[in-house]
Amino acid sequence: MEVTIKLFRYNPEKDKKPSYKTYKLEALETDRVLDLLEKVKGYQDGTLSFRRSCAHGICGSDAMRINGFNRLACKTLVRDTGAKITVQPLLGMRVIKDLIVDMEPFFEHYRSVKPWLINDDPEPEKERYQSVDQRAVFDDTTKCILCACCTTACPSFWGNEQYVGPAAIVAAHRFIFDSRDKAAAERLKILNEVWGVYRCHTIFNCTLACPREIQITRAIGEVKMALTTGKTE
Amino acid sequence: MGLKRNVGLMEALRYQGKGPMLTYILHRIGGLSIVIFVGLHILAGYLANHAWGANLGIFINSIYENWLFQVFIFFFALFHAINGLRIVILDLWPKLIEYQREAIWLEWFVFLPIYGIALFVIVRSGLGG
Ligand code: SF4
Ligand code: SF4
Ligand code: FES
Repeated sequence: MEVTIKLFRYNPEKDKKPSYKTYKLEALETDRVLDLLEKVKGYQDGTLSFRRSCAHGICGSDAMRINGFNRLACKTLVRDTGAKITVQPLLGMRVIKDLIVDMEPFFEHYRSVKPWLINDDPEPEKERYQSVDQRAVFDDTTKCILCACCTTACPSFWGNEQYVGPAAIVAAHRFIFDSRDKAAAERLKILNEVWGVYRCHTIFNCTLACPREIQITRAIGEVKMALTTGKTE
Repeated sequence: MGLKRNVGLMEALRYQGKGPMLTYILHRIGGLSIVIFVGLHILAGYLANHAWGANLGIFINSIYENWLFQVFIFFFALFHAINGLRIVILDLWPKLIEYQREAIWLEWFVFLPIYGIALFVIVRSGLGG
């Protein structure tokens, strides 16, 4: 089938303003939007810039707005988009070039919640044991690939980029509810700040956008609850 | 170099967030409508008690007593109330968030008949029936 793909273009070295360019190409229903971008870049316009790495939905680098909704280009089939496709960079980020946005503010928020295991107890001889049930509590939030589909779909984040954002809260959740970790109180204190978890107004854009199908709003709800009750078990 | 942060109001409204995002937008409009309604009400009450503003007070009164205005304000106020309840319930019991889609259906299911009845009453008395 023939598809028409309209791409957001901006070259900081030449363009004063961004514009859209449209390309026509042959595609299969089973092609992914990423394949189309590769074809455009390879055969029609080598100046097109976008990020991708794994091409299999695991590195999180090719998040973009496809037909107005955040998705990974490598996980979106032509079958689902139809023959007319518009691709734009993520909302709420500074565009560096074409579909590439500056992810630094996103990662800054991520780092702010200390997304690593904190436990100063002396190391056990073998390993830190955890029961199947204890592990299950935070299983969902271990699946995050830091693609930013969620944070850049969030109206609260659009409103103010100081909001820590759903992805950072997901990362915090993963450690707050980990029975081996000892810094839950520290992280909860960070998320209790003005631009923390209470900027979330339970809108669900994040949950719908997450390519890993993480129940993000639920995780945020659990963090809010932990802040209210002080319980992380 | 590069562009500034790229969120304008229209750009944001064009995001395809579907059902949940629609409730979010209606909720904000609802909040604003309630502020306007209550604000007008207080203002009209105040003005009506002062000779210099009585006419303006009566004029404002006539706006919010107008049935067309009521059709609009009741939609947003009721939606704001029911949507707010949904969010409070989901916030208090995060486990229920798994059923957020169903929660939105339920919300419309509760909203539509109540609004329908109100609409019927408002329009009927508005048209003098
Ligand atoms: S549920 Fe919260 S974090 Fe997710 S999009 Fe809505 S406001 Fe943002
Ligand atoms: S929570 Fe989902 S949408 Fe957000 S960064 Fe992680 S994988 Fe991406
Ligand atoms: S290229 Fe790695 S997630 Fe799409």
